[in-house]
Amino acid sequence: MSLWESFDKNEISILLFVVVGYAFLFLLPKKFTREITLLFLLWGFTIGVLFDFTIGGGLVDFFKLNDSNGYRLFDFLYYLLFAPFSYLFIYFYESFRINKKTFIWYIVAWAGIGVGMQWVFTLVEIVQFQKGYKIPFSFPIFLMTQTITGLYYEFVFSRFKVLKSGLKKPRGY
Amino acid sequence: MAFAVFFFASWLVLTLFLVIPKKLSIIENTFVFLIILVISINWTWIIYEEIKLIKSTEETMEYTAFLLFRSVIIPMILVTQLNLLCRANKFTKSLLILSTSLAILLLLTFLSTFFNMANYIKWNIGYDAIYYLSLHVIAYYSLKFFRKSAQSEVKYS
Repeated sequence: MSLWESFDKNEISILLFVVVGYAFLFLLPKKFTREITLLFLLWGFTIGVLFDFTIGGGLVDFFKLNDSNGYRLFDFLYYLLFAPFSYLFIYFYESFRINKKTFIWYIVAWAGIGVGMQWVFTLVEIVQFQKGYKIPFSFPIFLMTQTITGLYYEFVFSRFKVLKSGLKKPRGY
Repeated sequence: MAFAVFFFASWLVLTLFLVIPKKLSIIENTFVFLIILVISINWTWIIYEEIKLIKSTEETMEYTAFLLFRSVIIPMILVTQLNLLCRANKFTKSLLILSTSLAILLLLTFLSTFFNMANYIKWNIGYDAIYYLSLHVIAYYSLKFFRKSAQSEVKYS
C-alpha cells in the first residue's frame, strides 16, 4: 500500500486546499463552543467518508480519488477538507442568521458551492468520475446532506448553548 | 434473505435506541456515533479491499445488507450499549451489557458469513471479537474526551 500513486497536481492541490480550508478555520473569530466546533468538524468529515465509501467505492464505485481506486494518504487528506466545509456552513448559517425565509436560499447556494468545488476537484484530477457518473448527480446529494445539516444545527441550537458568547440570538421566527 | 434480516436488524437497533432512556445528550450520542461510523467504514475498507483478508459479496442485495451492517447497525449498537452502560450502577450489570452487545455483533457477523455477504480468506471471528471489543473501548473514551473538552472550556474561559 503506497502513500500516493504519483505525486503531481492533484496531491499539490489537496495540500493547498487543506492549508486554505484550515486557515479559514483558525483565522475566523471563534463563534461556537468547543464541543459544537468539534461536533460539526467531525460531522462534515464523516459525511465525506460515508459518501465516498458508499457511492465512490465498493460495488457502486462512481468515482476514483487521486488516480487510484485504492485508499491512499491523500484520499484521507481529501476527506479532511469536508470538516472545514461543514464548519463554514454553520459559521455563515449563524453569521447570516438564517431563518425560515432564507433557509431554502442558503441551502441551494451551498449545494451550488459544493458542486462548484467538486467541479474544481475534477479539473485538478483529485476526483475522476467513472461508470457514467456526472457532476449534476452530486447536486441532490449536497442538497440532501446540507438540508439535514441545517435542520440538525437548528435542533442543536434549540437545546444547547451553541455560541461562545452564550447569547441566544433571535432567529426571526 | 440477507437484506431482509439486516434491514430488520437496522430497524430494531434504531427503534431500540429511540425507546431506551438515554444517559447521553443528543450531541454526545451524535459524536460517538460519528466516531464509530468513521472507524467502521475505514476498517472494513482496509480489511476487505486493501489487505484483502475478507472478500465481500458481488451480489447487489447482499452488498446493501453489508452497507447496512457497516454504516447503521455497528455504530448504533455501540451508541445504544454506551447509553445503557452509563446507566448501569453495578459492575456485573455493565459486564452483562458489554457481553450482550458483543454477542449480538458476533451473531450478526456470523450471519453475514452465513449469507455470503463476507467470505473469510485470512480471517476468523475471533479477530472480529477483538475488533468489536476495541470499538467498545473507543466509544467509551471518545465520550470521555468529548465531555472533557466541553468541561475544560467552561473551566478556563
